[in-house]
Amino acid sequence: MTSQRDTFISNLFERAKLDKDICLISVDMGAPSLDIWREELPEQFFAAGISEQNAINFAAGLSASGKKVYVYFMACWVARCFEQIRYSCAMAGNPITVLGNSVGLGYTPAGPAHNPTEDIAYMRSLCGIEIYSPANNAVVKELVNLTCEEPKLRYIRFERSFPQELESFYLNSAVDSDFLNKGSHILTYDAGSGGEMSVCIFSSGYMLGRALQVAKRLESQGIDACVVDFFRVKPATLSNPRDYDHDLIVTLEEQTLPAGFGSSICEAFVDAGVKRNILRIGLPEKYIFENGSREHLLNTNGLSVETIYEKIINKL
Amino acid sequence: MNLDKIAKSVRKRIFEFKTRSRAGHLASCLSCVDVLVSLYYDEGTVFNHEEDVFIFSKGHGSPTVYPILVDLGYIDKSELDKYCTPEGMLKLHADHTIPGCHFVGGSLGNGIGYAAGLAHGSKKDVYVMLGDAELYEGSVWETLIFTAHHNINNLNIIVDRNWMGILGKTEDLLKLEPLEEKFKSFGFETCTVDGHNFEELREVFSKKCDKPRVIIADTVKGKGVSYMEDVWQYHTIIPKEEELLKKAMEELS
Repeated sequence: MTSQRDTFISNLFERAKLDKDICLISVDMGAPSLDIWREELPEQFFAAGISEQNAINFAAGLSASGKKVYVYFMACWVARCFEQIRYSCAMAGNPITVLGNSVGLGYTPAGPAHNPTEDIAYMRSLCGIEIYSPANNAVVKELVNLTCEEPKLRYIRFERSFPQELESFYLNSAVDSDFLNKGSHILTYDAGSGGEMSVCIFSSGYMLGRALQVAKRLESQGIDACVVDFFRVKPATLSNPRDYDHDLIVTLEEQTLPAGFGSSICEAFVDAGVKRNILRIGLPEKYIFENGSREHLLNTNGLSVETIYEKIINKL
Repeated sequence: MNLDKIAKSVRKRIFEFKTRSRAGHLASCLSCVDVLVSLYYDEGTVFNHEEDVFIFSKGHGSPTVYPILVDLGYIDKSELDKYCTPEGMLKLHADHTIPGCHFVGGSLGNGIGYAAGLAHGSKKDVYVMLGDAELYEGSVWETLIFTAHHNINNLNIIVDRNWMGILGKTEDLLKLEPLEEKFKSFGFETCTVDGHNFEELREVFSKKCDKPRVIIADTVKGKGVSYMEDVWQYHTIIPKEEELLKKAMEELS
Protein backbone atom coordinates (compact mmCIF):
# COMPACT_ATOMS: atom_id res chain seq x y z
CA MET A 1 0.00 0.00 0.00
CA THR A 2 1.36 3.44 -0.90
CA SER A 3 2.30 5.49 2.12
CA GLN A 4 0.36 8.63 2.94
CA ARG A 5 3.45 10.70 2.28
CA ASP A 6 3.98 9.24 -1.18
CA THR A 7 0.30 9.46 -2.00
CA PHE A 8 0.35 13.14 -1.13
CA ILE A 9 3.61 14.03 -2.87
CA SER A 10 2.85 12.10 -6.06
CA ASN A 11 -0.60 13.69 -6.35
CA LEU A 12 0.85 17.10 -5.60
CA PHE A 13 3.48 16.46 -8.27
CA GLU A 14 0.76 16.00 -10.88
CA ARG A 15 -0.68 19.36 -9.95
CA ALA A 16 2.74 20.98 -9.75
CA LYS A 17 3.42 20.04 -13.37
CA LEU A 18 0.51 22.27 -14.32
CA ASP A 19 0.94 24.93 -11.67
CA LYS A 20 4.39 26.51 -11.53
CA ASP A 21 3.55 28.24 -8.26
CA ILE A 22 3.58 24.95 -6.36
CA CYS A 23 6.91 24.51 -4.54
CA LEU A 24 8.13 21.78 -2.25
CA ILE A 25 10.87 22.25 0.31
CA SER A 26 12.43 19.14 1.75
CA VAL A 27 14.28 19.40 5.03
CA ASP A 28 16.71 16.68 4.00
CA MET A 29 13.96 14.12 3.72
CA GLY A 30 13.63 11.72 0.84
CA ALA A 31 10.67 9.78 -0.53
CA PRO A 32 10.29 7.56 -3.57
CA SER A 33 7.68 9.99 -4.88
CA LEU A 34 10.14 12.86 -4.51
CA ASP A 35 12.76 11.49 -6.88
CA ILE A 36 10.76 12.17 -10.01
CA TRP A 37 9.80 15.62 -8.73
CA ARG A 38 13.45 16.52 -8.19
CA GLU A 39 14.27 15.33 -11.66
CA GLU A 40 11.40 16.85 -13.57
CA LEU A 41 10.59 19.99 -11.60
CA PRO A 42 13.91 21.16 -10.13
CA GLU A 43 12.75 24.78 -10.21
CA GLN A 44 9.90 23.88 -7.87
CA PHE A 45 11.99 21.92 -5.41
CA PHE A 46 14.33 23.12 -2.69
CA ALA A 47 16.69 21.03 -0.60
CA ALA A 48 16.90 23.00 2.61
CA GLY A 49 19.29 20.68 4.35
CA ILE A 50 18.67 19.94 7.99
CA SER A 51 17.47 23.42 8.82
CA GLU A 52 13.84 23.55 9.86
CA GLN A 53 13.94 27.19 10.92
CA ASN A 54 15.25 28.49 7.62
CA ALA A 55 12.98 26.14 5.68
CA ILE A 56 9.90 27.65 7.31
CA ASN A 57 11.11 31.24 7.06
CA PHE A 58 12.06 30.78 3.42
CA ALA A 59 8.69 29.11 2.78
CA ALA A 60 6.92 32.06 4.38
CA GLY A 61 8.76 34.46 2.08
CA LEU A 62 7.98 32.35 -0.97
CA SER A 63 4.36 32.25 0.11
CA ALA A 64 4.33 36.04 0.41
CA SER A 65 5.46 36.20 -3.20
CA GLY A 66 2.41 34.19 -4.27
CA LYS A 67 3.77 30.65 -4.28
CA LYS A 68 1.94 27.62 -2.88
CA VAL A 69 4.53 26.21 -0.56
CA TYR A 70 4.84 22.80 1.09
CA VAL A 71 7.52 22.02 3.63
CA TYR A 72 8.22 18.38 4.21
CA PHE A 73 10.06 16.94 7.20
CA MET A 74 9.71 14.53 10.06
CA ALA A 75 6.72 15.45 12.18
CA CYS A 76 8.82 15.51 15.34
CA TRP A 77 10.68 18.57 14.05
CA VAL A 78 7.67 20.86 14.03
CA ALA A 79 8.66 21.53 17.61
CA ARG A 80 12.03 22.69 16.33
CA CYS A 81 10.51 25.38 14.11
CA PHE A 82 7.41 26.10 16.14
CA GLU A 83 8.52 29.71 16.53
CA GLN A 84 8.97 30.15 12.78
CA ILE A 85 5.57 28.61 12.04
CA ARG A 86 4.03 30.90 14.66
CA TYR A 87 5.92 34.04 13.73
CA SER A 88 6.61 33.95 10.01
CA CYS A 89 3.46 32.06 8.99
CA ALA A 90 0.61 32.29 11.51
CA MET A 91 1.36 35.83 12.68
CA ALA A 92 2.52 37.28 9.38
CA GLY A 93 -0.33 35.64 7.46
CA ASN A 94 1.65 33.37 5.16
CA PRO A 95 -0.37 30.23 4.38
CA ILE A 96 2.05 27.35 3.88
CA THR A 97 1.40 23.63 4.28
CA VAL A 98 3.60 21.75 6.72
CA LEU A 99 3.89 18.06 5.92
CA GLY A 100 4.97 16.14 9.01
CA ASN A 101 5.86 12.55 8.39
CA SER A 102 5.36 9.85 11.01
CA VAL A 103 3.36 10.89 14.02
CA GLY A 104 2.87 9.20 17.37
CA LEU A 105 5.17 6.24 17.83
CA GLY A 106 5.59 5.77 14.08
CA TYR A 107 9.38 5.97 14.09
CA THR A 108 9.78 3.35 16.75
CA PRO A 109 12.40 2.11 17.63
CA ALA A 110 14.10 5.45 17.03
CA GLY A 111 13.20 6.64 20.51
CA PRO A 112 11.21 9.58 21.87
CA ALA A 113 13.13 12.31 20.02
CA HIS A 114 11.77 10.96 16.75
CA ASN A 115 8.29 10.23 18.03
CA PRO A 116 6.08 13.30 18.40
CA THR A 117 3.65 12.47 21.15
CA GLU A 118 2.60 16.02 22.05
CA ASP A 119 2.47 17.69 18.64
CA ILE A 120 -1.32 18.02 18.49
CA ALA A 121 -1.22 19.95 21.74
CA TYR A 122 1.36 22.52 20.76
CA MET A 123 0.41 22.85 17.12
CA ARG A 124 -3.26 23.35 17.80
CA SER A 125 -2.40 26.27 20.03
CA LEU A 126 -1.37 28.28 16.97
CA CYS A 127 -3.93 30.87 15.91
CA GLY A 128 -5.77 29.95 12.74
CA ILE A 129 -3.93 26.76 11.87
CA GLU A 130 -5.77 23.71 10.54
CA ILE A 131 -4.47 20.28 11.49
CA TYR A 132 -5.23 17.07 9.63
CA SER A 133 -4.50 13.57 10.76
CA PRO A 134 -5.67 11.30 7.94
CA ALA A 135 -6.14 7.56 8.24
CA ASN A 136 -6.88 6.93 4.63
CA ASN A 137 -5.37 7.65 1.24
CA ALA A 138 -8.61 8.96 -0.21
CA VAL A 139 -8.51 11.70 2.42
CA VAL A 140 -4.83 12.31 1.70
CA LYS A 141 -5.57 12.80 -2.00
CA GLU A 142 -8.36 15.24 -1.25
CA LEU A 143 -6.04 17.15 1.05
CA VAL A 144 -3.83 17.80 -1.98
CA ASN A 145 -6.79 19.45 -3.70
CA LEU A 146 -7.74 21.42 -0.61
CA THR A 147 -4.26 22.78 0.03
CA CYS A 148 -3.78 23.75 -3.61
CA GLU A 149 -7.12 25.43 -3.97
CA GLU A 150 -7.64 27.06 -0.60
CA PRO A 151 -4.32 28.27 0.77
CA LYS A 152 -4.27 28.36 4.54
CA LEU A 153 -1.72 27.57 7.22
CA ARG A 154 -2.04 23.82 7.64
CA TYR A 155 -0.20 21.02 9.37
CA ILE A 156 -0.77 17.57 7.92
CA ARG A 157 0.26 14.68 10.12
CA PHE A 158 1.16 11.67 8.02
CA GLU A 159 1.10 8.18 9.43
CA ARG A 160 4.21 6.23 8.50
CA SER A 161 2.13 3.09 8.49
CA PHE A 162 -1.55 2.64 8.98
CA PRO A 163 -3.92 -0.29 9.27
CA GLN A 164 -4.95 -1.39 5.80
CA GLU A 165 -8.49 -2.26 6.84
CA LEU A 166 -9.21 1.45 7.27
CA GLU A 167 -9.21 1.89 3.51
CA SER A 168 -12.40 -0.16 3.20
CA PHE A 169 -14.35 2.15 5.49
CA TYR A 170 -14.26 4.89 2.91
CA LEU A 171 -15.11 2.88 -0.18
CA ASN A 172 -18.73 3.92 -0.17
CA SER A 173 -18.08 7.56 0.58
CA ALA A 174 -17.34 10.27 -1.91
CA VAL A 175 -14.24 11.85 -0.42
CA ASP A 176 -14.45 15.34 -1.84
CA SER A 177 -14.26 18.90 -0.60
CA ASP A 178 -17.65 18.61 1.12
CA PHE A 179 -16.43 15.52 2.89
CA LEU A 180 -13.31 17.32 4.12
CA ASN A 181 -15.32 20.34 5.22
CA LYS A 182 -17.21 18.17 7.68
CA GLY A 183 -13.96 17.40 9.49
CA SER A 184 -15.02 13.98 10.72
CA HIS A 185 -16.51 10.81 9.35
CA ILE A 186 -18.51 8.09 11.08
CA LEU A 187 -16.70 4.83 10.33
CA THR A 188 -19.07 2.45 12.06
CA TYR A 189 -22.47 3.09 13.50
CA ASP A 190 -23.35 1.17 16.59
CA ALA A 191 -25.06 -2.08 15.80
CA GLY A 192 -28.27 -0.88 17.36
CA SER A 193 -28.46 -4.19 19.09
CA GLY A 194 -30.46 -2.64 21.82
CA GLY A 195 -27.63 -2.94 24.28
CA GLU A 196 -28.18 -1.22 27.58
CA MET A 197 -25.09 0.88 27.16
CA SER A 198 -23.65 2.79 24.23
CA VAL A 199 -20.19 4.12 23.53
CA CYS A 200 -18.84 6.39 20.82
CA ILE A 201 -15.10 6.42 20.17
CA PHE A 202 -13.50 9.49 18.60
CA SER A 203 -10.06 8.99 17.16
CA SER A 204 -7.88 9.62 14.12
CA GLY A 205 -4.98 8.20 12.14
CA TYR A 206 -3.34 5.02 13.29
CA MET A 207 -5.39 4.69 16.47
CA LEU A 208 -8.58 4.23 14.48
CA GLY A 209 -7.46 0.65 13.87
CA ARG A 210 -7.48 0.06 17.63
CA ALA A 211 -10.73 1.97 18.03
CA LEU A 212 -12.42 -0.39 15.58
CA GLN A 213 -11.11 -3.44 17.42
CA VAL A 214 -12.28 -2.03 20.73
CA ALA A 215 -15.70 -1.28 19.26
CA LYS A 216 -15.96 -4.87 18.05
CA ARG A 217 -15.06 -6.11 21.51
CA LEU A 218 -17.67 -3.86 23.09
CA GLU A 219 -20.31 -5.01 20.64
CA SER A 220 -19.47 -8.60 21.46
CA GLN A 221 -20.33 -7.80 25.08
CA GLY A 222 -23.67 -6.28 24.13
CA ILE A 223 -22.52 -2.69 24.31
CA ASP A 224 -23.44 -0.54 21.34
CA ALA A 225 -20.33 1.14 19.96
CA CYS A 226 -19.52 3.41 17.07
CA VAL A 227 -16.29 4.93 15.81
CA VAL A 228 -15.75 8.40 14.37
CA ASP A 229 -12.69 9.43 12.38
CA PHE A 230 -11.68 12.99 13.20
CA PHE A 231 -9.34 13.35 10.24
CA ARG A 232 -9.37 17.07 10.94
CA VAL A 233 -7.99 17.49 14.40
CA LYS A 234 -8.26 21.27 14.39
CA PRO A 235 -10.79 22.67 14.26
CA ALA A 236 -12.40 19.58 15.75
CA THR A 237 -15.98 20.38 14.94
CA LEU A 238 -19.03 18.50 16.12
CA SER A 239 -21.64 19.23 13.48
CA ASN A 240 -24.42 18.35 15.86
CA PRO A 241 -23.06 17.62 19.32
CA ARG A 242 -26.44 16.48 20.64
CA ASP A 243 -26.40 13.59 18.21
CA TYR A 244 -23.67 12.05 20.30
CA ASP A 245 -26.03 10.98 23.05
CA HIS A 246 -24.07 7.90 24.05
CA ASP A 247 -23.52 6.89 27.62
CA LEU A 248 -19.83 7.45 27.13
CA ILE A 249 -17.76 9.41 24.62
CA VAL A 250 -14.22 8.07 24.39
CA THR A 251 -11.34 9.94 22.81
CA LEU A 252 -8.43 7.78 21.77
CA GLU A 253 -5.07 9.20 20.72
CA GLU A 254 -1.43 8.25 20.35
CA GLN A 255 -0.47 11.37 22.23
CA THR A 256 -0.02 12.37 25.82
CA LEU A 257 -3.23 13.82 27.17
CA PRO A 258 -2.55 17.44 28.22
CA ALA A 259 -4.10 19.76 25.65
CA GLY A 260 -4.29 17.00 23.05
CA PHE A 261 -7.03 15.68 20.79
CA GLY A 262 -9.20 14.55 23.70
CA SER A 263 -8.95 17.97 25.25
CA SER A 264 -10.10 19.56 22.02
CA ILE A 265 -13.17 17.29 21.97
CA CYS A 266 -13.98 18.25 25.56
CA GLU A 267 -13.70 21.89 24.54
CA ALA A 268 -16.02 21.32 21.59
CA PHE A 269 -18.72 19.85 23.84
CA VAL A 270 -18.28 22.55 26.48
CA ASP A 271 -18.40 25.29 23.87
CA ALA A 272 -21.60 23.78 22.43
CA GLY A 273 -23.11 23.71 25.91
CA VAL A 274 -23.63 19.97 25.72
CA LYS A 275 -22.85 17.91 28.82
CA ARG A 276 -21.37 14.53 28.11
CA ASN A 277 -19.57 11.79 29.94
CA ILE A 278 -16.15 11.79 28.32
CA LEU A 279 -13.20 9.48 28.84
CA ARG A 280 -9.84 10.57 27.40
CA ILE A 281 -7.43 7.78 26.59
CA GLY A 282 -3.88 8.36 25.39
CA LEU A 283 -0.24 7.74 26.18
CA PRO A 284 1.09 8.13 29.70
CA GLU A 285 2.75 11.48 30.38
CA LYS A 286 6.31 10.34 29.87
CA TYR A 287 8.89 9.88 27.11
CA ILE A 288 9.01 6.27 26.01
CA PHE A 289 12.55 4.90 25.91
CA GLU A 290 11.64 1.22 25.70
CA ASN A 291 12.52 -0.85 22.68
CA GLY A 292 9.94 -2.65 20.61
CA SER A 293 7.59 -2.25 17.69
CA ARG A 294 4.89 0.40 17.58
CA GLU A 295 2.33 -2.29 18.40
CA HIS A 296 4.40 -3.48 21.32
CA LEU A 297 4.95 -0.02 22.77
CA LEU A 298 1.28 0.84 22.46
CA ASN A 299 0.45 -2.38 24.30
CA THR A 300 2.94 -1.72 27.08
CA ASN A 301 1.87 1.88 27.47
CA GLY A 302 -1.79 1.51 28.19
CA LEU A 303 -3.10 1.39 24.64
CA SER A 304 -3.62 -2.32 24.02
CA VAL A 305 -7.11 -3.22 22.83
CA GLU A 306 -7.73 -5.03 26.09
CA THR A 307 -6.57 -2.13 28.27
CA ILE A 308 -8.61 0.38 26.31
CA TYR A 309 -11.61 -1.91 26.58
CA GLU A 310 -11.16 -2.24 30.33
CA LYS A 311 -10.83 1.50 30.82
CA ILE A 312 -14.11 1.98 28.98
CA ILE A 313 -15.89 -0.74 30.95
CA ASN A 314 -14.65 0.70 34.23
CA LYS A 315 -15.93 4.11 33.28
CA LEU A 316 -19.30 2.74 32.20
CA MET B 1 19.91 66.72 -1.34
CA ASN B 2 21.46 67.27 2.08
CA LEU B 3 21.53 63.79 3.51
CA ASP B 4 23.12 64.91 6.78
CA LYS B 5 20.25 67.28 7.33
CA ILE B 6 17.68 64.60 6.52
CA ALA B 7 19.39 62.13 8.84
CA LYS B 8 19.32 64.67 11.63
CA SER B 9 15.65 65.28 11.06
CA VAL B 10 14.92 61.54 11.11
CA ARG B 11 16.92 61.11 14.33
CA LYS B 12 15.20 64.05 15.93
CA ARG B 13 11.76 62.69 15.20
CA ILE B 14 12.73 59.21 16.43
CA PHE B 15 14.10 60.76 19.61
CA GLU B 16 10.89 62.72 20.07
CA PHE B 17 8.43 59.85 19.69
CA LYS B 18 10.61 57.45 21.63
CA THR B 19 11.14 59.75 24.60
CA ARG B 20 7.49 60.82 24.58
CA SER B 21 6.18 57.26 24.54
CA ARG B 22 9.09 55.83 26.50
CA ALA B 23 8.69 52.72 24.39
CA GLY B 24 12.03 51.07 23.77
CA HIS B 25 15.13 50.62 21.66
CA LEU B 26 16.01 54.25 20.96
CA ALA B 27 19.76 53.63 20.70
CA SER B 28 19.23 50.64 18.36
CA CYS B 29 17.21 52.84 16.02
CA LEU B 30 19.73 55.68 16.02
CA SER B 31 22.54 53.43 14.83
CA CYS B 32 20.84 52.47 11.57
CA VAL B 33 19.36 55.83 10.56
CA ASP B 34 22.06 56.72 8.02
CA VAL B 35 21.81 53.39 6.21
CA LEU B 36 18.09 53.93 5.73
CA VAL B 37 18.50 57.56 4.75
CA SER B 38 21.06 56.50 2.15
CA LEU B 39 18.68 53.92 0.68
CA TYR B 40 15.46 55.90 0.80
CA TYR B 41 16.70 59.42 -0.06
CA ASP B 42 19.99 59.26 -1.93
CA GLU B 43 19.22 59.13 -5.63
CA GLY B 44 22.68 57.72 -6.19
CA THR B 45 21.59 54.38 -4.76
CA VAL B 46 19.69 51.77 -6.77
CA PHE B 47 17.12 51.18 -4.02
CA ASN B 48 13.62 52.12 -5.13
CA HIS B 49 11.14 52.10 -2.29
CA GLU B 50 8.21 51.69 -4.68
CA GLU B 51 9.56 48.54 -6.30
CA ASP B 52 12.07 47.06 -3.90
CA VAL B 53 11.43 45.68 -0.45
CA PHE B 54 13.14 46.64 2.79
CA ILE B 55 12.72 44.26 5.72
CA PHE B 56 13.88 44.67 9.28
CA SER B 57 15.03 41.33 10.56
CA LYS B 58 16.23 43.48 13.44
CA GLY B 59 12.64 44.31 14.32
CA HIS B 60 13.50 46.53 17.26
CA GLY B 61 15.21 48.91 14.82
CA SER B 62 12.15 49.14 12.60
CA PRO B 63 10.72 52.40 14.04
CA THR B 64 13.66 54.05 12.30
CA VAL B 65 11.66 53.88 9.12
CA TYR B 66 8.57 55.64 10.48
CA PRO B 67 9.70 59.27 9.90
CA ILE B 68 10.90 58.17 6.47
CA LEU B 69 7.50 56.69 5.63
CA VAL B 70 5.95 60.00 6.67
CA ASP B 71 8.29 61.91 4.35
CA LEU B 72 7.46 59.56 1.48
CA GLY B 73 3.72 59.80 2.05
CA TYR B 74 3.03 56.24 3.20
CA ILE B 75 1.66 57.38 6.53
CA ASP B 76 0.34 60.59 7.97
CA LYS B 77 2.62 62.81 10.00
CA SER B 78 0.22 62.65 12.95
CA GLU B 79 0.98 58.96 13.33
CA LEU B 80 4.36 59.79 14.85
CA ASP B 81 2.57 61.59 17.69
CA LYS B 82 0.42 58.52 18.24
CA TYR B 83 3.32 56.04 18.28
CA CYS B 84 2.53 53.16 20.64
CA THR B 85 -0.84 54.59 21.64
CA PRO B 86 -4.20 52.89 21.11
CA GLU B 87 -5.09 55.52 18.52
CA GLY B 88 -1.99 54.99 16.45
CA MET B 89 -0.89 52.41 13.91
CA LEU B 90 2.83 52.60 14.62
CA LYS B 91 4.15 50.01 17.01
CA LEU B 92 7.35 49.26 18.83
CA HIS B 93 7.98 46.58 16.20
CA ALA B 94 6.78 47.43 12.71
CA ASP B 95 4.56 44.87 11.02
CA HIS B 96 2.87 44.20 7.70
CA THR B 97 -0.27 46.13 8.69
CA ILE B 98 1.67 49.40 8.42
CA PRO B 99 1.86 50.91 4.91
CA GLY B 100 5.40 50.63 3.58
CA CYS B 101 6.30 47.80 5.96
CA HIS B 102 6.39 44.22 4.78
CA PHE B 103 6.94 41.83 7.65
CA VAL B 104 6.15 41.40 11.29
CA GLY B 105 8.96 42.36 13.65
CA GLY B 106 9.95 41.18 17.07
CA SER B 107 11.51 37.74 16.72
CA LEU B 108 15.17 37.82 15.76
CA GLY B 109 16.85 35.56 13.25
CA ASN B 110 13.78 35.08 11.08
CA GLY B 111 13.43 38.12 8.82
CA ILE B 112 16.48 37.09 6.85
CA GLY B 113 14.98 33.73 5.86
CA TYR B 114 11.67 35.35 5.02
CA ALA B 115 13.53 37.95 2.93
CA ALA B 116 15.40 35.19 1.08
CA GLY B 117 12.11 33.47 0.22
CA LEU B 118 10.51 36.71 -0.88
CA ALA B 119 13.53 37.64 -3.01
CA HIS B 120 13.59 34.24 -4.67
CA GLY B 121 9.86 34.05 -5.27
CA SER B 122 9.16 37.64 -6.28
CA LYS B 123 12.42 38.40 -8.13
CA LYS B 124 12.28 41.82 -6.48
CA ASP B 125 15.37 43.37 -4.97
CA VAL B 126 15.05 42.74 -1.26
CA TYR B 127 17.10 44.48 1.41
CA VAL B 128 17.12 43.01 4.87
CA MET B 129 18.71 44.56 7.93
CA LEU B 130 20.04 42.47 10.77
CA GLY B 131 21.46 43.59 14.05
CA ASP B 132 24.94 42.31 14.79
CA ALA B 133 23.82 40.66 18.03
CA GLU B 134 21.08 38.98 15.99
CA LEU B 135 23.85 37.00 14.34
CA TYR B 136 23.96 34.81 17.43
CA GLU B 137 20.73 33.22 16.20
CA GLY B 138 21.48 29.91 14.49
CA SER B 139 18.66 30.38 12.01
CA VAL B 140 20.62 33.26 10.45
CA TRP B 141 23.42 30.90 9.49
CA GLU B 142 20.95 28.35 8.14
CA THR B 143 19.69 31.03 5.79
CA LEU B 144 23.19 32.16 4.84
CA ILE B 145 24.10 28.65 3.70
CA PHE B 146 20.85 28.39 1.76
CA THR B 147 21.09 31.83 0.15
CA ALA B 148 24.65 31.36 -1.01
CA HIS B 149 23.91 27.92 -2.45
CA HIS B 150 20.91 29.16 -4.41
CA ASN B 151 22.74 32.33 -5.40
CA ILE B 152 19.84 34.54 -4.36
CA ASN B 153 21.65 37.60 -5.64
CA ASN B 154 18.70 39.95 -5.39
CA LEU B 155 18.96 39.65 -1.61
CA ASN B 156 21.02 42.36 0.04
CA ILE B 157 21.88 41.63 3.64
CA ILE B 158 22.84 44.60 5.75
CA VAL B 159 24.32 44.11 9.19
CA ASP B 160 23.96 47.04 11.54
CA ARG B 161 27.32 46.47 13.19
CA ASN B 162 26.99 48.68 16.25
CA TRP B 163 29.14 46.28 18.24
CA MET B 164 26.63 45.86 21.04
CA GLY B 165 24.16 43.50 22.53
CA ILE B 166 21.93 44.36 25.46
CA LEU B 167 24.59 43.50 28.00
CA GLY B 168 27.54 45.26 26.43
CA LYS B 169 30.12 44.91 23.67
CA THR B 170 29.70 41.91 21.43
CA GLU B 171 33.42 41.20 21.45
CA ASP B 172 33.45 41.08 25.25
CA LEU B 173 30.23 39.09 25.57
CA LEU B 174 30.59 36.56 22.77
CA LYS B 175 32.98 37.22 19.94
CA LEU B 176 31.57 37.70 16.45
CA GLU B 177 34.80 38.66 14.70
CA PRO B 178 36.20 38.06 12.17
CA LEU B 179 32.78 38.78 10.75
CA GLU B 180 33.65 39.77 7.22
CA GLU B 181 35.71 36.61 6.78
CA LYS B 182 32.83 34.52 8.08
CA PHE B 183 30.43 35.86 5.46
CA LYS B 184 33.06 35.56 2.74
CA SER B 185 33.69 31.96 3.62
CA PHE B 186 29.97 31.29 3.21
CA GLY B 187 30.23 32.57 -0.37
CA PHE B 188 28.96 36.12 -0.03
CA GLU B 189 30.23 39.24 -1.68
CA THR B 190 31.10 41.08 1.50
CA CYS B 191 32.21 44.56 2.37
CA THR B 192 32.43 46.74 5.41
CA VAL B 193 31.51 50.39 5.18
CA ASP B 194 31.24 53.25 7.60
CA GLY B 195 27.51 53.11 8.29
CA HIS B 196 27.42 56.84 8.96
CA ASN B 197 29.28 57.94 5.84
CA PHE B 198 26.96 58.71 2.95
CA GLU B 199 29.75 58.60 0.39
CA GLU B 200 30.67 55.07 1.37
CA LEU B 201 27.05 53.99 1.63
CA ARG B 202 26.30 55.42 -1.83
CA GLU B 203 29.28 53.59 -3.27
CA VAL B 204 28.02 50.24 -2.03
CA PHE B 205 24.31 50.82 -2.65
CA SER B 206 24.81 52.26 -6.13
CA LYS B 207 25.35 48.89 -7.72
CA LYS B 208 23.74 45.51 -7.87
CA CYS B 209 25.73 42.37 -7.46
CA ASP B 210 25.70 39.04 -9.26
CA LYS B 211 26.32 37.25 -5.99
CA PRO B 212 24.30 37.50 -2.81
CA ARG B 213 25.97 40.07 -0.66
CA VAL B 214 26.45 41.18 2.88
CA ILE B 215 27.11 44.79 3.69
CA ILE B 216 28.49 45.28 7.14
CA ALA B 217 27.60 48.81 8.17
CA ASP B 218 29.98 49.83 10.91
CA THR B 219 27.86 51.99 13.18
CA VAL B 220 27.66 53.53 16.62
CA LYS B 221 24.80 52.62 18.88
CA GLY B 222 22.95 55.74 19.98
CA LYS B 223 24.52 57.73 17.13
CA GLY B 224 23.69 61.43 17.13
CA VAL B 225 23.15 61.90 20.84
CA SER B 226 26.62 62.29 22.32
CA TYR B 227 25.91 60.96 25.78
CA MET B 228 24.17 57.87 24.39
CA GLU B 229 26.80 56.95 21.85
CA ASP B 230 28.48 53.63 22.52
CA VAL B 231 27.05 53.39 26.05
CA TRP B 232 25.54 49.95 26.40
CA GLN B 233 23.15 50.90 29.19
CA TYR B 234 21.24 53.02 26.71
CA HIS B 235 19.90 49.91 25.02
CA THR B 236 17.15 49.93 27.59
CA ILE B 237 17.36 53.41 29.05
CA ILE B 238 15.43 56.21 27.41
CA PRO B 239 16.60 59.66 28.49
CA LYS B 240 14.14 61.30 30.82
CA GLU B 241 15.76 64.21 32.64
CA GLU B 242 14.99 67.63 31.22
CA GLU B 243 18.64 68.46 30.85
CA LEU B 244 19.37 65.32 28.84
CA LEU B 245 16.35 65.83 26.60
CA LYS B 246 17.38 69.41 25.95
CA LYS B 247 20.95 68.47 25.16
CA ALA B 248 19.85 65.77 22.73
CA MET B 249 17.44 68.09 20.96
CA GLU B 250 20.17 70.68 20.58
CA GLU B 251 22.48 68.11 19.07
CA LEU B 252 19.79 66.81 16.72
CA SER B 253 18.53 70.22 15.59
